Amino acid sequence: MTLDVDISAARGAFQIRAAFEAVPGQTVALLGPNGSGKSTLVATIAGLLPPVRGTIELGGMMLDDAEGGSHMPPERRPIGVMFQDLLLFPHLSAIDNVAFPIRARGGARSDARERAADLLGRLGVGARAEARPRDLSGGEAQRVALARALIAEPALLLLDEPLSALDVGARVRIRELVRGELARFPGVRIIVTHDPVEASTLCDRLVLVEEGRVTQIGSPEEIRTAPRSRYAADMVGLNSFRGRLEPLEDGAGLLVTDEGSVVAAWPEGSDGGEAMGLLRPADVTLSLQSPAGSARNVFRGQVTSIAVEGDRARVRLATAPPLVAEVTLSSVQRLGLRDGVIVWASFKAVEVQVLPL
Amino acid sequence: MKRVLVLAMSSILLFAACGDSGGGGDGSEPSSPEVELTLSAAASLTEAFGEIGGGFEAANPGTIVTFNFGPSDGLAGQINEGAPVDVFASASPTWMDSVQDDGPGITGRVDFAQNKLAIVVPAGNPAGIENLDDLTEDGVQLVLAAEGVPVGDYAREVFANAGISEAALANVVSNEEDVKAVITKVQSGDADAGIAYVTDVTPDIAEEVTLIPIPDDVNVIATYPIAVVNGSQEADVAQSFVDYVLGDGQQILAEYGFLPPP
Amino acid sequence: MATDSRSSPSTASSPHRRGRIPAGFVVLAALGVALVALPLLGLVLRTPWSRIVEILTSETALTALRLSLVVATTAAAISFVLGFSLAWVLVRSTFPGKTLVRAVVVLPLVMPPVVAGVGLLAAFGRRNGILGSWLYEWFGIQLTFTTGAAVLAATFVSFPLAVLALEAGLRGLDERLEDAATTLGASRWYVLRWVTLPLMAPQIAAALVLSWARALGEFGATITFAGNLQGRTQTLPLAVFEQLQSDTDAAFAVSMLLILLAFAVILSLRGRFLR
Repeated sequence: MTLDVDISAARGAFQIRAAFEAVPGQTVALLGPNGSGKSTLVATIAGLLPPVRGTIELGGMMLDDAEGGSHMPPERRPIGVMFQDLLLFPHLSAIDNVAFPIRARGGARSDARERAADLLGRLGVGARAEARPRDLSGGEAQRVALARALIAEPALLLLDEPLSALDVGARVRIRELVRGELARFPGVRIIVTHDPVEASTLCDRLVLVEEGRVTQIGSPEEIRTAPRSRYAADMVGLNSFRGRLEPLEDGAGLLVTDEGSVVAAWPEGSDGGEAMGLLRPADVTLSLQSPAGSARNVFRGQVTSIAVEGDRARVRLATAPPLVAEVTLSSVQRLGLRDGVIVWASFKAVEVQVLPL
Repeated sequence: MKRVLVLAMSSILLFAACGDSGGGGDGSEPSSPEVELTLSAAASLTEAFGEIGGGFEAANPGTIVTFNFGPSDGLAGQINEGAPVDVFASASPTWMDSVQDDGPGITGRVDFAQNKLAIVVPAGNPAGIENLDDLTEDGVQLVLAAEGVPVGDYAREVFANAGISEAALANVVSNEEDVKAVITKVQSGDADAGIAYVTDVTPDIAEEVTLIPIPDDVNVIATYPIAVVNGSQEADVAQSFVDYVLGDGQQILAEYGFLPPP
Repeated sequence: MATDSRSSPSTASSPHRRGRIPAGFVVLAALGVALVALPLLGLVLRTPWSRIVEILTSETALTALRLSLVVATTAAAISFVLGFSLAWVLVRSTFPGKTLVRAVVVLPLVMPPVVAGVGLLAAFGRRNGILGSWLYEWFGIQLTFTTGAAVLAATFVSFPLAVLALEAGLRGLDERLEDAATTLGASRWYVLRWVTLPLMAPQIAAALVLSWARALGEFGATITFAGNLQGRTQTLPLAVFEQLQSDTDAAFAVSMLLILLAFAVILSLRGRFLR
């Protein structure tokens, strides 16, 4: 039962255009910054918001066909949704919350409660079956919400920001739980998140959503290797420069962006035009004096922040364009790097990887 | 601002809602009066006493007469509960007795008029009532005053006299608060017929209500007593009003169809 | 605490302010209580307790009681069904003239009851009513002087209370819970029955209690429009009024019954629904 989405949807003044596919046995992440349109997309797939254009098809079943005029209401869709705010029914106990999807579809009360009790047990909250949502801890409530989405054995499982409301400790535990449940879930699985770590660790394919559009689809490795947008690049920690690639007389290329220009090796067979340049922070060299050497890219600017990660430090510079350099902690000490210190940053043209857009 | 306006409007309307339902005529003089006389009178006296009151005020400048019209039983009850009434005019001796025996007591009691009952029907007589017997027909919607109200008791007496009590009473659809309420229900056409006093079909409503006389041999003669209520602050003026009713007032009462006292 | 949604407002208050109530408020509050309590106290003291059983088991009283219960309950039920539907439309849709509609619907609250009765006659009177005359001429249906008229009068005055309480309840609902329910497979009817209504239970109880109590006490519109006949239209307030003219003891006794009835209903719901 493959999910095929190809739609434009609008909510208020906001619009989203997305086309992607999700097959059973694979977990797809809809990943993007807040405000990018992910929740509009969730609402559309769930059936709460009919799309303006396009179709949504699940295993041959037409859920939405904007041009054809058909819209299957949410209650008839074989889906299970876990919501960002959980939205557990406050007037029902945990077990009745979980039993709800079965009873709503006509199931008998005792059968529904029995299956709910089993599922709650498997997810580790069997003892809290009769508790009200307001008496549950964050992690417990999350498990109950997950159970409620799973219990009717839907063809499509949709988890909206499943871990974002949790504290760090609970997050780790719940992530493992979710991973386990996803692995044994036979249908299509979609996770919506703004956290790249969550996406990378739980999902097989990432669909990047930015400003109402899908900017890239691929596995975490594919995206890490060839990110196609600043967000994607930031996501994997690279410097990214987006602008027009113009040829220089000596065969190199000048990537002209709004924030400054960078010299890069001319990519083979390219005609120039819109392109994205990528630079690993580790390839940026910092010095207190103007560097000697043949590096074609030399910039001078103030240190705006220093973030220590393990034995390395990521140093942000207010150069034109802005840069992130990764240096050892001893370098930080040796150079006396602090916020406000002026330094020289340099890197070779060939270290800038150019991808046509 | 909008909220203040709404609040103000609601307060005004609520105030109006709590307005009295029993108050009758009032004096029209804005200046502070010398004497204020409060009168409780049977509802059937509304029109006649309104005119009598006006005449008394004209004859006694500086006096304001305020009326409280209603069912005689209710009025007597109010007086017995301590309502500050100067003169009481009842449509039956029973309720004057009540004020005399169970209430503050009375002075100068005298009968000042008599009245007869009649059948009243809406204009056009939709149910085709021509006499008392017609009131016993199936489906006739008959309205009486409640028991205890003089005209209500009298009506039941008339039925007993005519031997039609059971059948007629079975047609009663409402027991009204006083005789004017009976007239209102008949006037609007919601009732097929009612029993009221002959005096209740005033010229004002003659186009909407038709009077059907009741034969004298079964009819009831209602005797109306009037008296000064003991404890009145204006006992002298109250007595002169009673005298006025017995004097100049008699002609006015006759014009409205009342019979002279026995 | 879980980050789920709740429909009831927070009842947190600052611990530092508890107990420090301005004296002025206390005095005014006491006056308010006295205003209501004194007439009740007067009634209690004037009620002829030695005769009360005899009076209340009389045919007049029992008939009026039975009729009042039937009329008030029917009126409250009608007010609820119609009121819920209207509240839904007012809260969840927009249409031109919505403000006017709400103003009209709330009007009976500020209308003198007798005026309401006159209005009902103007609409449903047999001869002159705009709808009533048509019903009578074409179908022979007469509304005045019937128990139905008493129900109609009681519904007219209690309907606005139901609408206001239910509207407040619907407004306070988190609609996302209803959306969630549909994605979990619930039809719109199922959502209404198992999610919307249960979440509104306190406001529903308030609507029912308020409209029932108002319907129980209705007098002016009833006596003007429905008339006064034992067993058919003489509800408890009308019985009290009639008794007041002749047997004040009985009037007090029946008044006491009315009050005890209303009290019982209010108290029975206090623990569960009214805050």
